[in-house]
Amino acid sequence: MNRSGLFWTQLRALVWKDLQIERHTKQSIGIMLMFAIVAVVTFNFALENNLGAVREVAGGLLWVTILLAGTLGLNRSFASELENRPIDAMLIAPMDRSTMFMGKVISVSLFTLAMELILIPVFIAISNKPFYRPEVLLLITLGTIGYVAAGVLVSSMAVQTRANYVLVPVLLLPLSLPVVLAAATGVAQYMGLNKPPFADVSATFALVIAYDLLMLAAGLFTYNYVVEE
Amino acid sequence: MIQIKGLTKQYGLTTVLRGVNLHVREGEFVTLVGSNGAGKSTLLRIVATLLKPSGGEVTIGGWPLPSHAHNVRRHIGLVSHHALLYGDMTAAENLMFFARLYGIDNREEVVSTALKRVGLTARRRDAVRTFSRGMVQRLTIARATLHEPDVLLLDEPFTGLDQDASALLNRLLLREHEIGRTILLITHDLIRGISLSDRVAILNRGKIVHTVTRDDISATEFVTLYQQVVHGDHVAELPG
Repeated sequence: MNRSGLFWTQLRALVWKDLQIERHTKQSIGIMLMFAIVAVVTFNFALENNLGAVREVAGGLLWVTILLAGTLGLNRSFASELENRPIDAMLIAPMDRSTMFMGKVISVSLFTLAMELILIPVFIAISNKPFYRPEVLLLITLGTIGYVAAGVLVSSMAVQTRANYVLVPVLLLPLSLPVVLAAATGVAQYMGLNKPPFADVSATFALVIAYDLLMLAAGLFTYNYVVEE
Repeated sequence: MIQIKGLTKQYGLTTVLRGVNLHVREGEFVTLVGSNGAGKSTLLRIVATLLKPSGGEVTIGGWPLPSHAHNVRRHIGLVSHHALLYGDMTAAENLMFFARLYGIDNREEVVSTALKRVGLTARRRDAVRTFSRGMVQRLTIARATLHEPDVLLLDEPFTGLDQDASALLNRLLLREHEIGRTILLITHDLIRGISLSDRVAILNRGKIVHTVTRDDISATEFVTLYQQVVHGDHVAELPG
């Protein structure tokens, strides 16, 4: 098998492995979804069923929920690599570390997007805001990919330490602030009755895409150092 | 096959390996024994490409480490006291996953053969989490040898096994040796070490302080030798 063929086989294998674990345990999506629903209900009660207030801050609330639920998903995904240390068997396989990074980003992104697929209709129901707009869905997807890429990098570093479950949120939340702020601002701009002209939101899209590319590039080029010794 | 010259490893100010020299010939079965903290697992993790040496030379099959780790990885298999398997996946899924990582073509056949070889065909669809410790170690051997590596590295594989499971693992290791694999085993069990392998090296405080071949010494003599070497007594009159 040539190098390119092996890369795709390995990448598929890594994603397939995480999907199989999720199929058997239903833990990543389950935990994220449970947390997200509890968070939404709590926000709703905290705002005392004030529909106006919920509508005003719906975009921000959505991202706070994604951020915290995503951290749980990342922790769960890396926990399976530590129990019995299968990560060591992966590290001695003839595989580029960048493939491992990409595999984890794809699978955790899929789990987070699956959670959002259920979460977004809930937000539409409680806020009556147009979260279904394609631009909003695109922003959420792009923001999720950037956040997960940063999360995989941070989690991979943190798993080598004893305080890994504490370190992930402590390091990840500040690191992901640029993409979350940009994506939340962008989503808020689309919450009005009329769509804003693209020129008004193009900078937001550019920032989110730039963050995604930066985190993906950082992972691809530095993952070798992150997971080794 | 494995050539180690002047290998050193430091963690910060702590020196774990202090100039280890060891040569393991192709097809040879060498056991490394030593007390806790002697540096055995560190040495094996360096040979397994999981750690980088601080100094010295390590070559496997002619490839130097860590610069040619990518080439070496295709030729080594690792069995540890950790299972290195996913507990939530089935036995077959675990092997299928690693078969894909190694780019094995006829995966279904290779996985079925591997499961048959370690006597786990009937449990292929069961989650590894439900396996006994002995079954997990058999599956670990299947995983480590799936890609037919030239070198098999074993770090305390007998930990937690009962007598029957240990005997079965013994037979599996001897079979791997018979088919020509080079084996480097780390164990605390001196009797097992001398009885299984062609040669035993004693690692003490980061250095190989004695090497004996199985034909030169009885198991009882080896235990005495080990006690004397590790506890610093005179060993001149003993063979090796």
